[in-house]
Amino acid sequence: MASVAIEGWADDCATIEEIEDALAELRLRVGRGGVPDLRTSVLTHMAWVPSEWQAAATETLAGLGERHPSRTLLFFPEPEEGNRLAATVFLECHPLEGDARHLCNEVVELRLGGPRAEAPASIATPLLLPDLPVFLRWRGRPPFRTGQFAQMIAIADRLIVDSAEWPDVPGAYAELEDFFEAAAVSDIAWRRTLPWRAALAHGWPERPDRIAGPPAETALLAGWLQSRAGVEVGREPAEGLPYDVDLDASGLLSEELNVFGRDAVYEAAAQAAGRL
Amino acid sequence: MDTQSVQTEENPLLEGLRLRRTPEPCVLAIFGASGDLTRRKIFPALYSLAMRKLLPEQFGVIGIARTAQATEEFVAAMEAAVREFARDEFRSDVWDRLASGTRYVTTDFADEGGQDNVVKCLNELDAHAGTRGNRVYYLAVPPTAMPALVQELGERRTTTGWVRLIVEKPFGRDLASARELNEILASHFTEGEVFRIDHYLGKETVQNLLALRFANGIFEPIWNRQFIDHVQITVAESIGIEARAGYYEQAGAIRDIFQNHLLQLLALTAMEPPIDFDAESVRNEKVKVLRALSTPNPRFVVRGQYGRGFIEGVEVPGYREEPGVAPDSTTETFVAARLFVDSWRWADTPFYVRTGKRLARRDTTIAIQFKRAPHPPFEDIDTLRPNVLFVHVQPNEGVSLAIGAKVPGEGMRVRNVHMDFLYGGTFRTGLPDAYERLILDTMLGDQTLFTRADEIEEQWSLVDAIVAAWARERPNFPNYAAGTWGPASSQELVAWHR
Repeated sequence: MASVAIEGWADDCATIEEIEDALAELRLRVGRGGVPDLRTSVLTHMAWVPSEWQAAATETLAGLGERHPSRTLLFFPEPEEGNRLAATVFLECHPLEGDARHLCNEVVELRLGGPRAEAPASIATPLLLPDLPVFLRWRGRPPFRTGQFAQMIAIADRLIVDSAEWPDVPGAYAELEDFFEAAAVSDIAWRRTLPWRAALAHGWPERPDRIAGPPAETALLAGWLQSRAGVEVGREPAEGLPYDVDLDASGLLSEELNVFGRDAVYEAAAQAAGRL
Repeated sequence: MDTQSVQTEENPLLEGLRLRRTPEPCVLAIFGASGDLTRRKIFPALYSLAMRKLLPEQFGVIGIARTAQATEEFVAAMEAAVREFARDEFRSDVWDRLASGTRYVTTDFADEGGQDNVVKCLNELDAHAGTRGNRVYYLAVPPTAMPALVQELGERRTTTGWVRLIVEKPFGRDLASARELNEILASHFTEGEVFRIDHYLGKETVQNLLALRFANGIFEPIWNRQFIDHVQITVAESIGIEARAGYYEQAGAIRDIFQNHLLQLLALTAMEPPIDFDAESVRNEKVKVLRALSTPNPRFVVRGQYGRGFIEGVEVPGYREEPGVAPDSTTETFVAARLFVDSWRWADTPFYVRTGKRLARRDTTIAIQFKRAPHPPFEDIDTLRPNVLFVHVQPNEGVSLAIGAKVPGEGMRVRNVHMDFLYGGTFRTGLPDAYERLILDTMLGDQTLFTRADEIEEQWSLVDAIVAAWARERPNFPNYAAGTWGPASSQELVAWHR
């Protein structure tokens, strides 16, 4: 069943207090037939979305709240704009089968203008749900050496990236490795290689001499073979993967939101990939 | 060194793959395949497993029953069943794959010639689908047919591949017959090959009871006689016997639900923490609870039979008016009992259990009632109610906790409110049917959610004692109207406690 967006509140010059008030007001909202809607959360889901990723991010996030009830904080950095915090607060509600009520997730869209984009953690921290894990999805290539990335990673339990979105793999993995102690890292490109890895594990001890595929996936796979089995393979670019994963972008992100601990095998693979 | 580390040492690429376990190639042979269970539960479950790619690549199904029909007719009937009962939308590609490995054999279960046909069909599937001689036999046959069928299967077992038997309830009709069946099974199969099914254990919410108890630090310290006043376990159905008079007249509520589902729910509620989630560890703890159940005083066991009444505003007939039921039947359609688990943890803590047909609504709930606050410092303490933790098994699957909260305004008025966790409201993935989980577990050889021989015997031992007491007196039936919560005397069981 289709979700419904319940309009809340928006302001081009918002304060955290006003955002909190808007969230509280939405919480008291009475649903259809005078029955209060359900609110439940299993995590705070933050997404850092530079302008070139907005359309893709919106598409990926559609319906995700249904699978992972959460408070979603979407950060749109606008460093070229003036100093302002613009906020839109609304509920994304999903009808419950056989029930008059909806299951509602809170969504807060935050546009960080000018210097506000440099201090995102001070805006995010008061809006985190207490005692629930914080997942940070960073669209595109994270600016690893910047203060804004360091701040956001400091308040997140898990960083989710898709290294296929990075223009400079495998070198970028060497920078990513510095953050393995700060937060558990999920890489959607790594998840995409799962069927391929399974096929290679199934065929072990046979091993390929060369692997062909997109740069991020082949680099991770080569790093994995090297770190797990000491096997070195050649890489060549190709479109698509030899073993497809039967999940769309939203499904891939959803899978990563189910994972909590560190993935030592991925970390070793990424480290090895960074040295390729 | 555990199996995982041995495997990883041999194949370094396996670690961290997070692959779902997939069963080995096998054939599922369903005896009693023309019954409702195959149509409503088994095939829809197989379809859902196929949809999620959880069945092995090399897989086949054989339906076996007395009803004469061709494979094509059976497949068509199962397709209609999947369309009607499966939880997923119908996809031709998924169904076609399942249907291509499906066969039907018409035979009497204990008939030599018929069994030859079954073996021939199994061998044909091995050759056609590559199922390697691995067999899951699903025995969904009447209790009277069970011993001969087990005997036949045992005598015909070969050394090729593995064999697992799913044995549907009822498992015997008393302790003696259950023991006899266990002995026949044991003479041909190891305990590790026998999967006695109680579909309640496959329900997500029943397994959630274990998660609630053993994954949360706050409940276990108060899960005992010091803090819990009593426990109520209800398995209520609003439906009647639905054309099952032949079976139900013999079984009654005590054999149909009390002996298995109710006592299993009680065992899971009262058991000690197992050291791990291994089949033996969990079943060892459950059987200790069943052994510790004392035989109830007949005064604290209530049986009932429904008379005419109303369900959802529609008048429904009494049990004795149902087709196939004797007009003077003394079969009980309701049982309630006060039970005690004689253990250090539970001594003197009553467990009130009840089950019945044609009750006010369909509801399976475990209610843990805690002791009252010892000295509430408020004036209006008459309205204070004890805390109750409700585990809703079905419907509205979830957990809720009743707590006292201040009513806004002047003074200190306290009202009871419920904090709810609803499965449907948190995990929106759709709950798998119990049969999906249990059939998959059987193919994987995991017996954690199946009942062991000694558990079954302990359960029957208690039921035999209750039934023996009933035999001394003819009941005055019917004694409750359809659409109510059972005989008044069952309400008094709990009231007496207060």
